[in-house]
Amino acid sequence: MKKIFLIASIVYSVAANSQVTKVNLQASGLTCSMCSNSINKALKSLDFVDKIDANIKTSTFEIKFKEGSKVDFDKLKKKVEDAGFFVAGFVASMHFNGVKVKSNETVAVGDKTLRFVNVKEQTLSGVKSIKIIDKGFVSAKEFKKNNVSPAADKSGKIYHVTI
Amino acid sequence: MKKYFIIVSVLMLHHGGFAQELFSFTEPASNMPAKSIGLRLNNYLMGENKSSKINYHLVPEVMVGVSKNIMLHGDLFLSNRNKRLSLEGGSIYGKYRFLSTDDVQKHFRMAAFGRLSYNNSDIHMDEINLYGHNSGWETGIVATQLLHKVAISSGLSYVNATDNGRGNKFSFGDKNRKAINYTFSVGKLMLPKEYTDYKQTNVNLMLEVLSQYNLGSGKYYIDAAPSIQFIFNSQSRIDIGYRKELSTTNLRTAPNGFLIRFEHNLFNAW
Repeated sequence: MKKIFLIASIVYSVAANSQVTKVNLQASGLTCSMCSNSINKALKSLDFVDKIDANIKTSTFEIKFKEGSKVDFDKLKKKVEDAGFFVAGFVASMHFNGVKVKSNETVAVGDKTLRFVNVKEQTLSGVKSIKIIDKGFVSAKEFKKNNVSPAADKSGKIYHVTI
Repeated sequence: MKKYFIIVSVLMLHHGGFAQELFSFTEPASNMPAKSIGLRLNNYLMGENKSSKINYHLVPEVMVGVSKNIMLHGDLFLSNRNKRLSLEGGSIYGKYRFLSTDDVQKHFRMAAFGRLSYNNSDIHMDEINLYGHNSGWETGIVATQLLHKVAISSGLSYVNATDNGRGNKFSFGDKNRKAINYTFSVGKLMLPKEYTDYKQTNVNLMLEVLSQYNLGSGKYYIDAAPSIQFIFNSQSRIDIGYRKELSTTNLRTAPNGFLIRFEHNLFNAW
């Protein structure tokens, strides 16, 4: 079974030409603008981040990236945590090029390996928003509820996502 | 001195951590962001009980967000007690955030903290104050709840005064060197009503209760400290507070007075 995933991953990585166009991130644990600003400045310090549109009221950040740069989801999450807060929502807009997805199957999209959870079998084309549901990318409460298998988390390479 | 270093090491190991909730007279359980530096100039203008003299204490302070859970402060104590403004000592403070339960626009956090103070002035009151009066150490815990625009925080700590430097002894009895500090703080964001950008000036109102109970003598004080705080550009702060003694059995020389604080924060400092 693992081998099939591996083959599938390789096939998809060749077939899929994809890119992260933006990330909408919601932070938890803050209200004040100084706290929000500390997250904003921390995110801006990442070399692949181009522009951030921050909404202080809702603690959300729309992050756009430099063209051709490799977007590292874990680095974004770490910056929020280093500022003293947590990620409560992480939605990435990614470009898909006819990628077939199915629940509990792993696909490679660009440099990312995604394992879809709770999705209908479908083919994704164009820019789609996917929500990461791994630990640290959703609130602790939501993570508990989703019950994503922890074994895959440890590799750090496979992101559990839903649409 | 060696003993101090050991105590500090122990405190840093087991505690650590600092935060950035924004009370004027106490520290919350939250920390500053990692890799940030805060610079403070604290001015205390305290009126002497038995005269019209104003005691001026100047406390420059540097705060460092070492990691997301650990924060350190270092400060110097200057005062005009001996006529001219002179350096009397300093302290280091560490705070470690060990619990965070966060949700959107709310959190509950707990932290452990420790302070080690040095002072070389004469000890002229039996209240133990490690922020510009006594040499000694303090360790405790603080819990903070943020609920949208309101923050509530409470701290409990153990204080131990040692003799001051330059041969200035703690002369109020050895068993009276130990005390418990209890603080309770409430703060509310008043302005802006609605956030639109980082340039908006924030206004916070706060009310804090500061108290001490001496474990030896059973003497105590309870102070109330209201304050108003302005935050500019989401980066700089001015706090203006007034500390007022409500009740005491301690001998205190200048318990009532103003705090005027200037603070500037540098994010991603290294």
